[in-house]
Amino acid sequence: MTRPRALALAAVVVLAVLPWVLVRYQLSILTDVLIFGLFALSLDLIMGYTGMVSFGHAAYFGLGAYGSALVLIHFGQPIPVALLAGALLAGVIAAPVGWFSTRATGIYFAMLTLAFAQLLYTVAYKWRDLTGGSDGIAGVPKTALFWGGPSLASPRAFYFVVAGAVVLSLVLCRALTRSPFGRALQAVRENERRFIALGRDPRPFKLVVFVIAAVFAGLAGALFAPFRGFASPEVMFWVLSGQGLMMVVVGGIGTLIGPIVGAMVFILVQEVLSSYTEHWMIFTGAIFVLMVIFLPGGLVGTARRLASRA
Amino acid sequence: MPHGGILVAISLLLEQLLNALALAGLLFLVSAGLSLVFGILRVVNFAHGVFYMLGAYLGFTVVALTGWFWPALVIVPPVVGLVGAVLESSTLRFIYRRLPIYQLLLTFGLALILEESIRVLYGPTAKGVDPPPLLQGSIPLGAIVYPRYRLFLVVLGLVVGAAVWLFLKRTRTGLVIRAVAQNAEMADCLGADVARVRTLVFGAACALAGLGGVAAAPMTTAYLGMGIGVIVDAFVVVVIGGLGSIPGSMAGSLIVGAAQTWGAYYLPETAMVIMYAVMGAILIFRPWGLFGEEE
Repeated sequence: MTRPRALALAAVVVLAVLPWVLVRYQLSILTDVLIFGLFALSLDLIMGYTGMVSFGHAAYFGLGAYGSALVLIHFGQPIPVALLAGALLAGVIAAPVGWFSTRATGIYFAMLTLAFAQLLYTVAYKWRDLTGGSDGIAGVPKTALFWGGPSLASPRAFYFVVAGAVVLSLVLCRALTRSPFGRALQAVRENERRFIALGRDPRPFKLVVFVIAAVFAGLAGALFAPFRGFASPEVMFWVLSGQGLMMVVVGGIGTLIGPIVGAMVFILVQEVLSSYTEHWMIFTGAIFVLMVIFLPGGLVGTARRLASRA
Repeated sequence: MPHGGILVAISLLLEQLLNALALAGLLFLVSAGLSLVFGILRVVNFAHGVFYMLGAYLGFTVVALTGWFWPALVIVPPVVGLVGAVLESSTLRFIYRRLPIYQLLLTFGLALILEESIRVLYGPTAKGVDPPPLLQGSIPLGAIVYPRYRLFLVVLGLVVGAAVWLFLKRTRTGLVIRAVAQNAEMADCLGADVARVRTLVFGAACALAGLGGVAAAPMTTAYLGMGIGVIVDAFVVVVIGGLGSIPGSMAGSLIVGAAQTWGAYYLPETAMVIMYAVMGAILIFRPWGLFGEEE
């Protein structure tokens, strides 16, 4: 067995064993790490593999959260239906936004995605009848695994749903980045002009990967709503988009697994710092600035470079 | 009475026109700096809105200490500019050679640090600032009575716009700045101190944002979150006008100011949507903005 494959197997075993080792509070942090890890991972698809920096990725996380919360509250459907609904809603909204945004490149793209995300945030904030305005939607239930199936109300049962969804997403995204489509994305990232000169149009590729990334971000949001029991405009706010960027950069751009590591570091640092000060954002901001300057490859990128040198 | 009807319509139009111009004045103070920094440093400064917020809060402090508004308008912009220049020379300077993504991310980290620092220093509640006595109340303008302070914002936007333009076109420093914007390497070869120009421009842009913040404070109060609000609007302005172009920021500010003013009047629930619709329409025909150059 090759080393990466052995590592992956070990990680899956650890994920399966941990819920029996951790106490309830630790398990909820681990669930958080996985959900935000999936969010950061989806951002890495467009940022790391296609070179498009989105400053509005939280919008799709939020759409997923609202989609799943509404399905669970109003229709009481099983969790997988809610996950599907959330991911689908994110994808459907991402398509027109992506159509506009991918007309621009680089910095213009980043600004456009932020502007559209703030627009969606405003809609969620103002559309009181549907979204509950600033209060959001509370009391989102963790329903069953399927119709008449086992309840997912226990933290451990829900953890396994989250872990399953995240591992499956990681496998899918990995396959995607290694497919001809994924190779084309990386070609766009490396040299868009040459891609065009070779007779191919980069825009359909960018649009499709933008929608795919939104679907996975929506899935993360759809897991978040029943896990925390609520969906509110904060889950669409630009701060979350920025935190996603931080997780990707801290973990390692273009590594897929890095963003999950980044989410873990980010959430653990936040847990530790917030027990000392409520102004932990100053310190995470400072750590982030230092990492951007001194460790542009992130933790996983740097570790891989060191491993290949050894 | 048809005459009365026309008069009402004209005075309403005049009032809205002035509202749009006042808003455009504020937007220009912020977006001009954003655009200038991009033109010279090739960096989109995400922290730019936070410098605007810093200006508003420092303005509150100066007014609280001196009891006057005018000193704030003079003292605060250089202070904000200094903060900006120090941050540029201590962090951004080292990563100009990297991909633009990293510079954007770095300024994002700086924005978080500054925003949270302001929260620590001033607490979560909004701080009101009184306009100076000269600018309180309203004055009659033909058929309408208009708030003096907004009129002042219209004038301020025009004066600063003209000053920035004249500085860039008519002074030697302005010439060097334009040279660096056009070709930094060549300007370097010809003896321009590019690193210093960058720090200077970054500081000046932050000072402009700070001036915008001080000027906005009597109208909007100084509050947390005003930075992100204004940076999103300023992004829309520069996307419409084109990054790196001062006339572009002026045109963009006018368009966004108009879209927001008339949107808020006729479609109060969807004013934001109007702004984005305008932006979308312009992008379809000119993805790099009205005055921008294709990348």
